[in-house]
Amino acid sequence: MNSHCKGEMPIDTENDIVMARKYVREAAVALGFGVTDVTRIVTATSELTRNIYVYAGSGIIRWHPINGNAAGLELVFEDHGPGIADVSLALKPGYTTSKGLGMGLPGSKRLMDEMEVLSEIGKGTIIRIRKWLKR
Amino acid sequence: MANGNISVIKIRDILLVTVPSDPDDCTVSELQEQVLSSMERHSAKGLILDISTVETIDSFFARTVSETVKMVALMGGLTVLSGMRACVAITTTQLGLSLDKTLTALDVDRAMELLSDTLNRSEGRK
Amino acid sequence: MKKQKNASTPKSLDSEENFRLLVDSVTDYAIMMIDPEGHVTSWNTGAEKILGFHSEEIIGKHFSCFYTSEALASGIPRNELDLASTQGRIENEGLRKRKDGTFFWANTIITPLCDEKGIIFGYTNITRELSDRKKADYTRSLIEASLDPLVTIAPDGKITDVNAATETITGCSRSELIGTDFSNYFTSSEKASDGYRQVFREGQVRDYPLEIRNSDGRVTSVLYNASVYRDESGAVVGVFAAARDITERKLSEERIKQQSQEILELSTPVMQVWQGVVAVPLIGCLDSQRTQQFMERLLDRIVETNSPVALVDIMGVPTIDTQTAQHLIETITAVRLLGAQVVLTGVRPAIAQTLVHLGIDLSGITTRSSLAAGLLVALDLLKLQVVNKSDNR
Ligand SMILES: Nc1ncnc2c1ncn2[C@@H]1O[C@H](COP(=O)(O)OP(=O)(O)OP(=O)(O)O)[C@@H](O)[C@H]1O
Ligand SMILES: [Mg+2]
Repeated sequence: MNSHCKGEMPIDTENDIVMARKYVREAAVALGFGVTDVTRIVTATSELTRNIYVYAGSGIIRWHPINGNAAGLELVFEDHGPGIADVSLALKPGYTTSKGLGMGLPGSKRLMDEMEVLSEIGKGTIIRIRKWLKR
Repeated sequence: MANGNISVIKIRDILLVTVPSDPDDCTVSELQEQVLSSMERHSAKGLILDISTVETIDSFFARTVSETVKMVALMGGLTVLSGMRACVAITTTQLGLSLDKTLTALDVDRAMELLSDTLNRSEGRK
Repeated sequence: MKKQKNASTPKSLDSEENFRLLVDSVTDYAIMMIDPEGHVTSWNTGAEKILGFHSEEIIGKHFSCFYTSEALASGIPRNELDLASTQGRIENEGLRKRKDGTFFWANTIITPLCDEKGIIFGYTNITRELSDRKKADYTRSLIEASLDPLVTIAPDGKITDVNAATETITGCSRSELIGTDFSNYFTSSEKASDGYRQVFREGQVRDYPLEIRNSDGRVTSVLYNASVYRDESGAVVGVFAAARDITERKLSEERIKQQSQEILELSTPVMQVWQGVVAVPLIGCLDSQRTQQFMERLLDRIVETNSPVALVDIMGVPTIDTQTAQHLIETITAVRLLGAQVVLTGVRPAIAQTLVHLGIDLSGITTRSSLAAGLLVALDLLKLQVVNKSDNR
């Protein structure tokens, strides 16, 4: 069953965002997340893969279960795009360099239990998010 | 999957549009086009966006919906967002998207009532 | 065949008398004879000295009166006689009771007395009080056998002795522990030294909570029971402290807490009070976790019952802070997205004051001071939405 919960896929086309949502949903359901948490995880996935598609052109998403003291799901979004100049600014609600709402990054952070953003101008961006299974 | 397959039904002067469950960005954009042209074609006064099968609403979807609501309003129409799932409502709120200028209803029935109520009232005022 | 009587007793009166004298002169051993049922039939000076009974007091009494009540309850005296009968002799160590009720550690040998046909007509019972050395060994083995960490501490706070359980729980060997400060082995050394000072001051402490830190970093929650112990002159020599591992208990306490939390949550019922109206009384403090669950349940119920109005009563919420208010606003927003509306009721004066002072804007939200007033609003809302109002006028 856990083989379901681990995987990766490249994000190259717009349709890959839909596929990523589908796979991540399956993984989250298989791990036993409730319907609201599944929706949260899938929504954050949608935001972050779309950011890859829009700002970096292409990238990769990986997901795997977290075991140990606390169980959960970790997802990593990696691209070799332009990078984010000011990460803390990008995490502010409403900040956007496109005509977006500027809610993708700050919203994903609120939806998940943990989020780390690593970004370097000209090199790319790695975003790691985690959700813990309650109880 | 219902993807790419947007159903538009006209009931009197109201358009009922059913949004597919997991639409890609293209479908969402297309939806906007299709809704606007149908509104014009049928000279509809009300629009019900039935999102009861939608499993995720992200910022792109939300932005397109609130844009569409504004555009429909500019064309003299009133939009009701109908049937949002509980888990989606929680997630959307937490994401920070309140869609606060949009009318909402629990299901299509209630959306119809709300629309005809509001439309009748504004009719009466004229 | 000739009959021979009492083969095992000396034949001549002389030797019988000598034997009597011999037995009587032995004062370090309690030597007694017991009949097959266990009644004492003879008693020497040693027995009088060790067990405290005069021979006229004890003869005819059952020998089980030398045993502890626990031993009696498990039928040990009878068993010993039976075992002696089948094995020809038994020797064991155990606690014995004196006439004055005090106990001592004894070595007992019981041998059956048989006639020439092999029929048992009695037993000899030789009981010896064990030496101090033996007693110390025994005490030591008891202490070692204890699963609870035991430790003795000198008045200066240095450890003077420990048992194996202490080695396990601290991860330090006996030699490492002895001579070091007792307080070194706890997460809070201050609290530990306060504890043993309290013992020296008050003579004892009970259920003193401390956390033992193992050398590998693990921490064990324990409760200490400790008291001073004295030398023969009555002077306090040190503290004897016994710890009880309460990790398990703590866990189950936590489990109970969690369960009562669950019960509390379950007892936050979302009731359908009218066709199209649900109501939920919020009771207690609203942390993020609880609000999350409350929000999910409320929204699910709204969808389930197809209710456009939800009455959320906060009468039972003792205090409200910015975070709680934020959670409430989030809930209200999410409910609106569903196509329903929250009417906030039970807003007490104190809560209203706090909300204004905190600068929390609830202006877009319908609020009422009582649930009844809220219900009126709800019905009004339903009329507006569902029923043509003019029909009702
Ligand atoms: N992977 C990325 N590579 C480069 N820049 C990024 C990346 N992700 C986000 N950004 C930058 O951070 C900003 C904020 O992103 P965020 O997702 O929060 O909002 P948005 O994409 O502009 O709008 P929304 O997601 O609400 O439609 C973006 O406008 C963009 O400048
Ligand atoms: Mg974005």
